[in-house]
Amino acid sequence: MLPSYAPKQRGSITYSNGSYPRSKETFSISPLRFQAKTSPRVLGRRKQLILRLALIIVVVSLFGLFLWPGGSIAPLFSLGLFSSSEAFELETVRYYDLSNVQGTSKGWEREERILLCAPLRDAESHLRMFFAHLHNFTYPHHLIDLAFLVSDSKDRTLPLLSELLEDLQADPDPRQPFGEISIIEKDFGQKVNQDVESRHGFAAQASRRKLMAQARNWLLSAALRPYHSWVYWRDVDVETAPFTILEDLMRHNKDVIVPNVWRPLPDWLGGEQPYDLNSWQESETALVLADTLDEDAVIVEGYAEYATWRPHLAYLRDPYGDPDMEMDIDGVGGVSILAKAKVFRSGVHFPAFSFEKHAETEGFGKMAKRMKFSVVGLPHYTIWHLYEPSVDDIRHMEEMENERKAREAEEKKKAERQKKTKDQFTDVGVQWQADKSEVAKAADKAAADEKVAEPALGVGEIKKTDTTPAEAGEAPPKPQEEVRGSLGRRY
Amino acid sequence: MGPVRALKRTNPLTVTVGVVLCIVIFLFLLTPSSDTSASAAHRKAHAASNPLSPPTSPFRKSNERARDGKRIPPPVVHYHMNNLTSSANPLENRETILILTPLARFYQEYWDNLLKLSYPHELITLAFIIPKNRDGNAATAELQERITKTQKTGPENERFASIIIERQDFEAPLSSQSETERHKMENQKARRAAMSKARNSLLFTTLGPSTSWVLWIDSDIIETPKTLIEDLASHDKDIIVPNCFQRFQDDKTKEDKERPYDFNSWQDSQIAKDLAANMGPDDILLEGYAEMATYRTLLAYMYKVGGDPRQEVNLDGVGGTALMVKADVHRDGAMFPPFAFYHLIETEGFAKMAKRLGKDSFGLPNYKVYHYNE
Repeated sequence: MLPSYAPKQRGSITYSNGSYPRSKETFSISPLRFQAKTSPRVLGRRKQLILRLALIIVVVSLFGLFLWPGGSIAPLFSLGLFSSSEAFELETVRYYDLSNVQGTSKGWEREERILLCAPLRDAESHLRMFFAHLHNFTYPHHLIDLAFLVSDSKDRTLPLLSELLEDLQADPDPRQPFGEISIIEKDFGQKVNQDVESRHGFAAQASRRKLMAQARNWLLSAALRPYHSWVYWRDVDVETAPFTILEDLMRHNKDVIVPNVWRPLPDWLGGEQPYDLNSWQESETALVLADTLDEDAVIVEGYAEYATWRPHLAYLRDPYGDPDMEMDIDGVGGVSILAKAKVFRSGVHFPAFSFEKHAETEGFGKMAKRMKFSVVGLPHYTIWHLYEPSVDDIRHMEEMENERKAREAEEKKKAERQKKTKDQFTDVGVQWQADKSEVAKAADKAAADEKVAEPALGVGEIKKTDTTPAEAGEAPPKPQEEVRGSLGRRY
Repeated sequence: MGPVRALKRTNPLTVTVGVVLCIVIFLFLLTPSSDTSASAAHRKAHAASNPLSPPTSPFRKSNERARDGKRIPPPVVHYHMNNLTSSANPLENRETILILTPLARFYQEYWDNLLKLSYPHELITLAFIIPKNRDGNAATAELQERITKTQKTGPENERFASIIIERQDFEAPLSSQSETERHKMENQKARRAAMSKARNSLLFTTLGPSTSWVLWIDSDIIETPKTLIEDLASHDKDIIVPNCFQRFQDDKTKEDKERPYDFNSWQDSQIAKDLAANMGPDDILLEGYAEMATYRTLLAYMYKVGGDPRQEVNLDGVGGTALMVKADVHRDGAMFPPFAFYHLIETEGFAKMAKRLGKDSFGLPNYKVYHYNE
């Protein structure tokens, strides 16, 4: 058997009828040539037959159309053989070898696919910032699949997200578009508000975290595919992060890894602050505390109600420390988690119930540890969360704003007053000067006159007249203005 | 000269016979396509455009690169999961079923049984996870052969919407699969932990955004009622298990008999709870071992001859031989713990975890499925 690309030599050498080529000049000795084609009688009958056949087909198809008015006639022409592959061929069987997607430290070289998960709720204002981050990722974009869960949003999160994603996929730069993109719409009927105060209030934490966990699980289970090697969880409200964050975290080759999360603050609040307190190492105190709690209780970090004395990743940051330094942790924060997909495949998820007294991302860390996966934090590798002022901060800021306004008003008033003074009272200084010189002249004259009579007294007289006009030039308007001012206020 | 003579006789009878024949031919051509058009249309409508799509839907075979050699970026796809239902009448809502099977050995009867299921096959996705060892390779080869037969050349209404085969390296314990070895108590924890991981891998990579129900069937379940899916769904329970039996031949009497097989479906007992209370955090309770008498009420022994097949009982632990779960239960996070979860593991731990998430399990003592007899 020749390969299909080999030139077909058979046809070019021999003729299909197996005989040598005959030219027209070749003399034919066959007298018994059948000449039916030229017979007009048979030709006429054939025409008749074709006509009849055509008539029959028309009648039948009309009949068919009458019987199945909605049915397509396409299967008639394709004889029903290609009905399943008219437009395209469907592939229904998929084969995956999960040992190829375990995740390695150099995923970008092995073309390992990452699933980027971002749960969204009323996040319209952060979306553009988030997409700027997406644009900047240095990990090959076509290896990143994006999955968004939009739940219970009252703003324009969904339309804006679709619009931005469409733009992203239509980007003329071939390095920009991402892999599979899923937008999952699912409402969980969350009653908890998403504003900062109610979001971080202690009482709301347990149920809020459970709902968040549920959302995360729905997102992951809907978007995780057998071809994913890594899963990256990223909040949309991260303000600053290195473009190489995926590679940086991946390089450590850990099952679950998180960076340190801080947030910038206004200067009057100290400039910066640890943000994510959910990444911590377990402490004896917390374990003892956990034993005393009810089965459904959830320990939440960063609240005075539960003093756990755990070492937090956030507080261990040294701005000049080695960014590659690792620290074993037990609870993880959800702002930016890179995990091997095998962690999720083996069943680790975000408990929407109290798992070892923890829920959501902290419970995720606990469960990963329970299944003997490595859970690591990078204390000196920091990303910056967006600063959203709390209600207290807002109050404080309002106070500061009011103070500033009051101060400005005061200054303005002062300036106005000065202006008014200037405008309403004619400047008598010139007159005074003139008068003064007049007086001086007169005095000089008088002195000159008196010099003749009494020269010793003249010097003192001149001195007196010299100081009087200067004092009078400033002093007189003051009492007058005060009177006017008080009058003006009264009426 | 034959045809010429026939043409001469322009008999009206010939014409009518021809017309009738033609109609018959067209009828023959049209009927099968109009029969399958609903399922074919469904298949086409639910086909995804690229191989990165959720594996529960078929995808269009086309090269990923456009004519100018550039990669065509996949489209932005919206999944409206608010509209997803798992109801008592799945057929009416065109709900999709995901049948999951951790496959160790391939049994022809298992495959035949799947093909017999009466639920529309275009709404069923099959997914298998098979270990990467010698037995697994053999099973994969056999399975692929049957799949090709069904999906490529089989009748359209027998073809499944999509089939996913996953291979995974299991840890050692699963390598020896003989029944006696498999059921030894000390091997149980490691074996079932590995099994849990296999189940979780299979589940979380195939669930996707459009599955309504997940049906777990072990590869050695060789006989179920044809209407298994409709029957189990009609109870409208989050988690529901039929009773798993095994047919065998009595050695003495040579009679065909059946015996209960799956002991992992049970109602908890105080004795078991006390046992658990005195255990270390990583120890597990096992069912069906004389060394560990739990005195739990087993679904297997609740079967009554002539009992109502629709009778339901509450369960605290479930077995995985046949197990129907609303996809939402898994989405909320209920999985098969590969570690001691409240001293339970795998499917039993799953029932417990579901309970922690507020989902209850039920058993059907008089509705039977049959396990292969080794």
